[in-house]
Amino acid sequence: MQEVTAQASTAQPVLEASRNKNEVKKRIWRNRWLYVMIAPGLLYFIIFKYLPMYGLIISFQDYKPYNGIMGSNWVGMKHFNRLFTEPDFLNILKNTIVLFGLNIFIYFPIPIILALMLNELRGNFFKRIFQSLLYIPHFMSWVIVVSISFVMVTMDGGIINDLLVFFGFEKINFLLNPSWFRPMYIIQVIWREAGWGTIIYLASIAAIDPGLYEAARMDGAGRLRQIWHITIPAIRGVIITLFILKIGSVLDLGFEHVYLLLNSMNREVAEIIDTYVYTAGLRQGQFSYSTAIGFFKSVIGLILVMTVNKISKKMGEEGVY
Amino acid sequence: MKKKSFSIMLAVLLTLSVMLTACGGNGKAAPTAPATGGDTAKGAESDAPTEIKIMLPLNTSETPPDTIKNELEKLTNTKLTYQFFPADTYEEKLNSSFATGSLPQVTYLKNQTTFIQMKDAIKDGQFWEIGPYLSEFPNLSKLKPEILNNTKVEGKLYSLYIGRPLARQGIIYRKDWADKLNLAAPANVDELFEMAKAFTEQDPDGNNVKDTIGVVDRNELIYGAFKTVSSWFGTPNGWGEKDGQLQPEFTFPQYIDTMDFFKKLRDAGYMNQDFAATSKTDAVKMFTSGKAGLYIGGSMQDIDSLHKDLIKNVPDAVVDTHSMVAGPDGKFAQWMIPGYNNVVLFPKSAIKDEAELKKILAFFDKMMTPEVSNLMFWGIEGVHYTVEDGKAKPTEDKELIEREVKGYKDSVIGESETNGMYEPYNTLPGRIHAEELLLENVKVGVPDPTAPLDSATYTEKGVELQQIITDATYKYMYGQIDKAGFEKEVENWKKRGGDKIIEEYNAAYKK
Repeated sequence: MQEVTAQASTAQPVLEASRNKNEVKKRIWRNRWLYVMIAPGLLYFIIFKYLPMYGLIISFQDYKPYNGIMGSNWVGMKHFNRLFTEPDFLNILKNTIVLFGLNIFIYFPIPIILALMLNELRGNFFKRIFQSLLYIPHFMSWVIVVSISFVMVTMDGGIINDLLVFFGFEKINFLLNPSWFRPMYIIQVIWREAGWGTIIYLASIAAIDPGLYEAARMDGAGRLRQIWHITIPAIRGVIITLFILKIGSVLDLGFEHVYLLLNSMNREVAEIIDTYVYTAGLRQGQFSYSTAIGFFKSVIGLILVMTVNKISKKMGEEGVY
Repeated sequence: MKKKSFSIMLAVLLTLSVMLTACGGNGKAAPTAPATGGDTAKGAESDAPTEIKIMLPLNTSETPPDTIKNELEKLTNTKLTYQFFPADTYEEKLNSSFATGSLPQVTYLKNQTTFIQMKDAIKDGQFWEIGPYLSEFPNLSKLKPEILNNTKVEGKLYSLYIGRPLARQGIIYRKDWADKLNLAAPANVDELFEMAKAFTEQDPDGNNVKDTIGVVDRNELIYGAFKTVSSWFGTPNGWGEKDGQLQPEFTFPQYIDTMDFFKKLRDAGYMNQDFAATSKTDAVKMFTSGKAGLYIGGSMQDIDSLHKDLIKNVPDAVVDTHSMVAGPDGKFAQWMIPGYNNVVLFPKSAIKDEAELKKILAFFDKMMTPEVSNLMFWGIEGVHYTVEDGKAKPTEDKELIEREVKGYKDSVIGESETNGMYEPYNTLPGRIHAEELLLENVKVGVPDPTAPLDSATYTEKGVELQQIITDATYKYMYGQIDKAGFEKEVENWKKRGGDKIIEEYNAAYKK
């Protein structure tokens, strides 16, 4: 008797499983086009994002291209040790974090404010014109942005220094003075990116139910009240998501941009992890060392994203995953 | 568990590599069945074109069409496959091809730096040593021994070189300004300073506004003005002998003198104030807009393009070149490059045996005939250039040359003295003067004694360490640190690996 029940009870799940399997198959079949559509994206991530992670191995080796990953010698943490004992390491890390802080505390709110302001512009015509004007800088490469500012602020006939002299001030050496590096950096970032950054905010503002505003107006709320009590709460989720994503790219400050601004006179504040990887690693073919630095950078990024995500969930927001 | 699988992997690897070397040994050492087979085959189809795959960097934006290649194949009886890769990302391409074992039979590197990076692999036996074969080829054996010597690795020759004049640096200056102010070309460094001063203060462009400067320089110590002026001051080229030992140039007093010279120039406003942040493009622009009068360093051959852009802005400007500037001790000197700007290597992974290597070298031997090197360097006569006074005059259509010829131009082995190709036909007096000065430069040329030497520490972090010195040099010239501060940075350089570099170079030097 017992045997029979045992058999039955094992047969039951099997049946269920097979039914489940069929169910799954059916569901997959029903949504087949979705899966087909997902495939290229999935492949992209596997080929270009996950497979290259295999390359991280070389940060624990003395990698020689001709020996390949399989043939190079294992050296354990040697390259990480070299990085951490590098006399400039702390300074480079500090510079990276400071620039990151500027990005978060100065740059990050600006697109939000801009989006709110653009939203208040009545009249679609002006709104579109302003929007386009704000987008345009994003399409210029960093090389162009940096050259434009070079021409403007150089001491050899730059318009800003000429103006300073005209108004009776001393010339300022913007390009070579370490204390001007950070302001120049963040101003250029804002100039190039702020307009572009408004896109998502504007889209999410557009999705707000106009009825809410009408109701608020009926209750006698002014423009500012409406922004404060309707617009900002409505886009709060978007702000937090973008904030977490921004944190994720914590140490990606734009190699090209910083490298172009970097020179011998401002290196003490301008050298960041990315530029250091370039000078110390790639220019000299030290792949293992460069990879170790890049690895270190990614780990910090990952930790930060997970922390912020957790905090945002604790605060009752959605987070990115 | 992990350890176990790892050791298994290693074992597999080892067996594989043993098998591979065995095979390799077989191919080379056993001239029995396969070799004779190969020989008869070769005899039968000796007229069949040799197939050669060539990988090289491309300095233009488009891959050139087959115009030149087709002619080249006819002349050399080959079937060529050119794999052009953009020069900007060439290192990556080189490394990835290397890592995947897919380097072609003929592999051009990009410059001296990529060559130094490749030295490890060369020592490891990844490339064919070609030294012993050169004497079999009449044209290849013409290559200059002193330059070949600079490309040797541990005393053995693995590469052919693409030649460059040994010392192209000098001054390109506004002759019309100098004439107006009654100045002759500077005979020594003091006159150079005076010229910069006069160009700044005496309104050489005659517009009654003080809007000109003397020297324009850029953020580059080697190919900018610094190293050239430094060699006039008598600083050794990279490394020099002191008390019977090789020491880096920045430990010599002349290096400090040069920094003082530039500090004085800058403080007085006789050069562009932002030179530490000025790009080459911006420096050139200052010269071609008629704002600056002296362009120092770089190649004097650039006078053609500088002149062309300058007369667009200042139609009656006259430019000239100059390089014989005596130092404070009255002596002339000029630093020299090792005489090549790129090399070609022959990977063992792609060339199976000696016979194949010889066939490929035979192609390069033909490349060094005037006929072939002219085709590759100048293009097709009548289309891309014409011959005047026994010299080549390129067509006005610069774009055509850029598109069809430039890709091959940068790959010609040797230089016109060895491969017999045409010299350029110049019309600009300053350029003709420059060509004469190139020869003068070599007479007083100072070679870098470490060019043929090897230092493991330098290969590992020389570039990174050099940054310390470069930064300190700029800081000194901008007055942010004094002599003591500079010496502290030199100590820092030594402490972080410089001492080892000195030691290694000296050990290699004594051998």
